[in-house]
Amino acid sequence: MIRYTLTRLALLLLGLLVASVLIFLTLRVLPGDVAQLVAGTNSTPEQVAAIRERLGLGEPLVTQYLAWIGGVLRGDLGTSLLTGSSVVDELVEKAQVTVPLGIFALTIALVFSLPLGVVSAMRRARASGTALNVGSQALAAVPVVWAGMMLVVVFAVWLGWLPAQGFPRSGWADPAAAIRSLVLPALTIGIVEGAMLLRFVRSATLQAVGQDYVRTAAAKGLTRNAALVRHGLPNVGLSVITVLGLQVAGIIVGAVVIEQLFTLPGIGRMLVADVSARDLPKVQGELLVLTGFVLIVGFVVDLAHRALDPRQREAA
Amino acid sequence: MLRRTALAASALLAASALLLAACTTGGGSSASTSTGAPDADASAVIRLVLEPSNLDIRETAGAALDQILVDNVYQGLVSRTPEQEIVPALASDYEVSDDGLTYTFTLREGVTFHDGQELTPQDVVWSLTTRKNTPEWSDSGRLANVETITADGQTITLTLSAPDSTLLWNLSGRAGLILKEGDTVDYKTKTNGTGPFILDQWKQGDSITFTRNDAYWGDKPKVAEVVFDYIPDNQAALNAALAGEVDVVTGFDATLKDQIEANGDFQLVLGKSTDKGTLAFNQTSGPLADKRVRQAIRQAIDHEAIIEALASGETLYGPIPSLDPGYEDLSKVAPYDPEAAKALLKEAGYEDLTLTLTIPSFYSTTIPQILVSDLNEVGITLEVNSVDFPTWLNDVYTNKDYELSFVLHTEARDFENWANPDYYFTYDNPQVQELYKESVAATDPDKAADLLKQAAKIVSQDAAADWLYNGASVVAVGTNISGMPTTNTNARINLAELTKSDG
Repeated sequence: MIRYTLTRLALLLLGLLVASVLIFLTLRVLPGDVAQLVAGTNSTPEQVAAIRERLGLGEPLVTQYLAWIGGVLRGDLGTSLLTGSSVVDELVEKAQVTVPLGIFALTIALVFSLPLGVVSAMRRARASGTALNVGSQALAAVPVVWAGMMLVVVFAVWLGWLPAQGFPRSGWADPAAAIRSLVLPALTIGIVEGAMLLRFVRSATLQAVGQDYVRTAAAKGLTRNAALVRHGLPNVGLSVITVLGLQVAGIIVGAVVIEQLFTLPGIGRMLVADVSARDLPKVQGELLVLTGFVLIVGFVVDLAHRALDPRQREAA
Repeated sequence: MLRRTALAASALLAASALLLAACTTGGGSSASTSTGAPDADASAVIRLVLEPSNLDIRETAGAALDQILVDNVYQGLVSRTPEQEIVPALASDYEVSDDGLTYTFTLREGVTFHDGQELTPQDVVWSLTTRKNTPEWSDSGRLANVETITADGQTITLTLSAPDSTLLWNLSGRAGLILKEGDTVDYKTKTNGTGPFILDQWKQGDSITFTRNDAYWGDKPKVAEVVFDYIPDNQAALNAALAGEVDVVTGFDATLKDQIEANGDFQLVLGKSTDKGTLAFNQTSGPLADKRVRQAIRQAIDHEAIIEALASGETLYGPIPSLDPGYEDLSKVAPYDPEAAKALLKEAGYEDLTLTLTIPSFYSTTIPQILVSDLNEVGITLEVNSVDFPTWLNDVYTNKDYELSFVLHTEARDFENWANPDYYFTYDNPQVQELYKESVAATDPDKAADLLKQAAKIVSQDAAADWLYNGASVVAVGTNISGMPTTNTNARINLAELTKSDG
């Protein structure tokens, strides 16, 4: 287990390094620069050159990369070219919207997908099971933007129960208002991601039903459902943990879209704005943190999976 | 059920009409739909489209900054009325000598900056001199003709090396803003002006809040607070309006008029603007170097159909919009006539032509769709290359690597670009350059406007570009709001008269 952990950790660090190089290089391929954006369309080339000089955009790529990664190792993600503020500070501020949104969405997804996935598998021969199956298939195929729009039209515009967009200006100083503004966005991501998770739970459960150990348990006198719950579901749980790692990435992507739609001042919206403003140091920092987060979640999931599944331990 | 379908359909459309980050313009005539009593403690929420990337009015270009900061937070010696006329601001009075070489301003007394410091004549001298001598600051070139700036008591004198008919206008914009000498405020995130509103809070990616300046030298604002809520998407803005989260929606899509007016809380107002939907032709080489091809494209485009599709705006057939001096109806220069267009293309030997249109991706697809179909009618295949704005700046604006380009130019009085062969329009006509120079040097405003008019006509006759429409300023105003400017709101929103009633 220790050897596995160390190997896995080395892979994680290598992944982060490769990601940092890729992030740095792909952003440099983008045409357009921030100096021209600052100067605007009525500027002279001299004006642009003066601004570029002041922002230090003329350095060679290797120098820029080493300076950046050196800072990252010291815990400094750099400063925004446009606002001059620290990238870490901005990330922390915006995370106050995105992290609760993600947790909220994941909770919603889990709360309905786990039980309904199992029920849908156990009742696969009945009408209710079929309905769940078809319903989840339809929901999983719904574009997040459209789902969000529908929720807004119903709950914000018609019923007036929840805000249509935005986040309280006072932030979490008013927790009730903050939570209210996150309900619709979280529901949107939660329903779509949850529907996908439901389908996964269903197929994992169905697979478990067909396993020898479930059949053996049933043969020993347990009812089929009891055998499934006692012996099958722990295995379903294991595979769900693995998929959850992927779901986290899905939720981050969902947040980028949903923050735009609901004008939530979170990391996703900041990222989109910074890319279109060519604020490269900021985009680099944001992407590195998001990539790092997904990689770390994958790392933790792998370790947890191995620790919980005796079969994998024996194999090693 | 009908309403449900309509809303769902428009939810899918969600076309956002962002505007090009540009420069200065005028205030606005105001809409008054309110009936209740004004509430002095009110907080009014205004939806805006484009958030500034930072608040540094000295060197960050872009209409998003002028829109909120000029007049409200920062002021110059003079300002502009909604009718685009020059009026005194920090100067109580001004005078221009007959030879157009000396401008004398009387600075108001008792003006203080938001940090409590008093505005001194030296601040004015310093601001204008520094602007003129610092190339990184926006519009510094607009003070090029100013030779000396001096103060004697409360009298500020500007002497010019040559007459400049654009100077007062420029002083009412960015170039004339008065800052505190040697201020150490962090301009990117804070402000320190003399205006009726004080910057209270900027939540990046979300909103900017102004509060009333109780120490303001003039009439105090009639609301306690104004919140600019940045909602880029028109559908989200509509939802916010219908859910009662905003009081005013600017930069709106006029085709959604019925939806926003449906519950009676909003009224859509179409104000004039200097926005020019400009189809630029790169005329340095290739088929577009041939004037007949450019003229054919102009005549192939059904400009009325564009206005109809946008549900707002007016047709425009030359470089100067009706709000600016030198405007003239030039519709006869390029009337819609696909047959004439075909004949011109045949004459030029381009009967089967493929051209590329480079357009920033934040514009709705309405314009490219109309262009593709209109040009197809006359045998031109139009390929649309939608790019993000920095890419457009790089390829089209800086490198002039394009054939056709569409951008909404929002600046008022920007004819100078047609007199600048290095601008991305690639239009080079010495006669126009000479007329423009004469217009700037004219001491009589009427003569200056007349010279511009002559120059604009030549630009249009040369088919230097096509002007697809003169945009409208589309503002949905809550029935509890009055005094909201509705003219040219893409450029500037003066909040001096804004009131919000409780009823």
